[in-house]
Amino acid sequence: MSKILIVDDSNMLRDMVKYALNEGGYPDVTEAVDGADGLVKAKSAVFDLIISDINMPNMNGFELITELRKLPTYAKTPILTLTTEKNDEMKAKGKAVGATGWIVKPFVPEQLLKAVGIVLSR
Amino acid sequence: MAVFDINKYRQMFLEEAEELFETIDTLLLEAEECGDMDNETVNSLFRSVHTLKGNSASVELSQFAALAHELEFFMDRLRNGELTFEESMAEILIEGIDALKQILELELAEELSDDYFQETKTALLSKISAFGEDAEEISLMIANEEPTDEYGLLLPQDDELCYGPIGGVSTVLNLLTTSQDDQFGMFEDESFIPVGGEDEFGFFDEPIVSQTDVPLQVSDSDEFGFFDDEPMPLSVKPELVVSEDDDFGFFDEMEVPKTPFAPVLETKVSAAKEEVKSVAATEPKKFKADSSSNSIRVDLSKIDGLMNNIGELVIAHSMLTQFTVMLEDQKIKADLSERLDLIDRHIRELQESVMSVRMVPMETVFSKFPKVIRDTAKKLNKKIDFRYSGETVEIDKAMIEGLTDPLMHIVRNGLDHGIESPERRRALGKPESGTLMMVAEQANGQMIIKLQDDGGGINVAKVTAKAVENGVIDEHQAASMSMEEKAMLIFAPGLSTADAVTDISGRGVGMDVVMSNIKKLGGVVKVDTEEGYGTTFTIALPLTLAILDGLNIRVGKEQFILPLSAIIESLNPSEDMIKHIGDKESEMLMLRNEFIPIVRLHSIFNVEPEHEKLSDGLLIVVRSATQKIAVFVDEFMNQQQFVIKPLDKNFRNAQGIGGATVRGDGSIGLIIDTMNILEKNY
Repeated sequence: MSKILIVDDSNMLRDMVKYALNEGGYPDVTEAVDGADGLVKAKSAVFDLIISDINMPNMNGFELITELRKLPTYAKTPILTLTTEKNDEMKAKGKAVGATGWIVKPFVPEQLLKAVGIVLSR
Repeated sequence: MAVFDINKYRQMFLEEAEELFETIDTLLLEAEECGDMDNETVNSLFRSVHTLKGNSASVELSQFAALAHELEFFMDRLRNGELTFEESMAEILIEGIDALKQILELELAEELSDDYFQETKTALLSKISAFGEDAEEISLMIANEEPTDEYGLLLPQDDELCYGPIGGVSTVLNLLTTSQDDQFGMFEDESFIPVGGEDEFGFFDEPIVSQTDVPLQVSDSDEFGFFDDEPMPLSVKPELVVSEDDDFGFFDEMEVPKTPFAPVLETKVSAAKEEVKSVAATEPKKFKADSSSNSIRVDLSKIDGLMNNIGELVIAHSMLTQFTVMLEDQKIKADLSERLDLIDRHIRELQESVMSVRMVPMETVFSKFPKVIRDTAKKLNKKIDFRYSGETVEIDKAMIEGLTDPLMHIVRNGLDHGIESPERRRALGKPESGTLMMVAEQANGQMIIKLQDDGGGINVAKVTAKAVENGVIDEHQAASMSMEEKAMLIFAPGLSTADAVTDISGRGVGMDVVMSNIKKLGGVVKVDTEEGYGTTFTIALPLTLAILDGLNIRVGKEQFILPLSAIIESLNPSEDMIKHIGDKESEMLMLRNEFIPIVRLHSIFNVEPEHEKLSDGLLIVVRSATQKIAVFVDEFMNQQQFVIKPLDKNFRNAQGIGGATVRGDGSIGLIIDTMNILEKNY
């Protein structure tokens, strides 16, 4: 059973991602309200996938991923970024900090699940 | 198939939007006041507007998202130093945010016409474009009114397609297929796979960060895709990796590279590197565990449910206490009482804990005011210095909504009628800026909120004359009223002394609504005013709406509950303390040179009393608003906590009864509403 961590400062977005994941057969979903919270939660359990927003107070998504990649547990864990931006700059940054991929907001459940399915099956 | 419940998410979005707007307003007002904007403020503004944009798009509010996008773009330019903050920007941004709020309302109500939207957007853009060097470029943008997703916003090109993310998934998928748009993507890193490039998805092997020098391949239009750097020979047409559906793909420049590949991307990456650096430099890392990261959002109804459970526990406890009284064995009785006391203490602690969960700082209320005051003062051409204190005092979350409106009314009214124009103030020898103070404090188990202004005060004579004219009171009453009572007339329905009706206040509706709203919260309002020197409104509220400390009183065979907070004192009057006035039917209690009207509860509730003679029974002096009354009862009994339950609709008009509770023995207890008694009788 895959354990997934969602990091987003928007309650609504977390709920949407969680809903989509639950519907798609991933019941084990943990939520974190910002990067700092995400880091604490990531350390307290081992997640198979982390989906993180970029723009957040108290440690943004890039900072979070940078921190996560320093941890042996998360050196290779797939991390998807959720972002409104889909420009190259954002992608370069995401890539630079070691993210696995990105999902553009707004998203449809199917798309999210497809991306999740791909990273989890690898 | 999973489809998002749009209404649910819109509701969530609205809740979040309200908070975000508040944050933005506060920051912008500060910036406007001090004429400066530091990096942190700009970042925070950007983040808030960015979230508004992203989230609104997720709930199909496309026009709101488009407008938010313009503001975000502007703030982004401020953030990355393309623009430097100028004093006039704050005002334009405030206007922009106001426009955004308005668009939100209209779009939600489905009353937003395209014309109006374009008008608003153009107006905003033309103001924004006044800044910076590339004003021309933006003017061009205005001219180019195509709905655009240039800056990364996914906007529907056609209303028919109506926001795939939530609505019809299949249409979106079709859209994606046809437009070759990808909704996600992966970064991949083949260069770190030791053995050749067989595995397309080598990124698991990618150690960590710092591989930025590897060229990045991305298509311009993916809505998703996987970050992928596969260093590819330029001459070789990169192999396109696609899943069976065409609607997403991984890495690989689909049709991008018309220009030589690597150099472009390298600059991109190095630019990105620099950016990462600059971000690190400008944004001090705040890794400290902020309290917000350890908090969760809980639906208020859940806490209400918890409170209700505690209420039941209180009732069960008092049932048990009552049962002990009947025990004959004194030893068992004493032991049991002792343990029951312990449970009682725990229940109180539990109750306090749950109460504290419901409590939020007054800051939540105060923070709504600076913006409103600024806007109102601007409209009226007045200068206002708004200050508040006691923002850390806590208030029951359930009361906030009911409290904000009346406060807002009083403030608007005060700004409109109370504070004079700068010219007039100067002529009067007052400082040009009027001062409005809002103070919150907790005293005697009550929440006290004071609103004080140094304006012209209430013209009591005018208010009284108006009240007589409108038939609220007659001239006799007017003659016998104290100044304080006359000032309270501003709360009478339909009373406005404003010479001109403005759109801020002055229609005469409002102050009576203020009174009734505050009463609904179980509170009272008092006015102190001095003509020429200003007005102070004092609002006293109970700390919570859920539980009440009350005194059991008995009239004849009936028992009632009197809220402890209302009781001042109680006494067994002697004959000479009772005075009869007028037609001998009104009885007054003469207590330390003060006349207090006496109310016989038995006649109000129509029950057979044990005592008819006042000196045989007891008088309880209770306070209500600015007045006192002495309630005549046969006996008072124990003091106890009661869980307030609302009365059924049919009984709400019952005179003198404000609520009900379940007693220890399971019977219903009626809670007396002193304010109501006072109103009906005096």
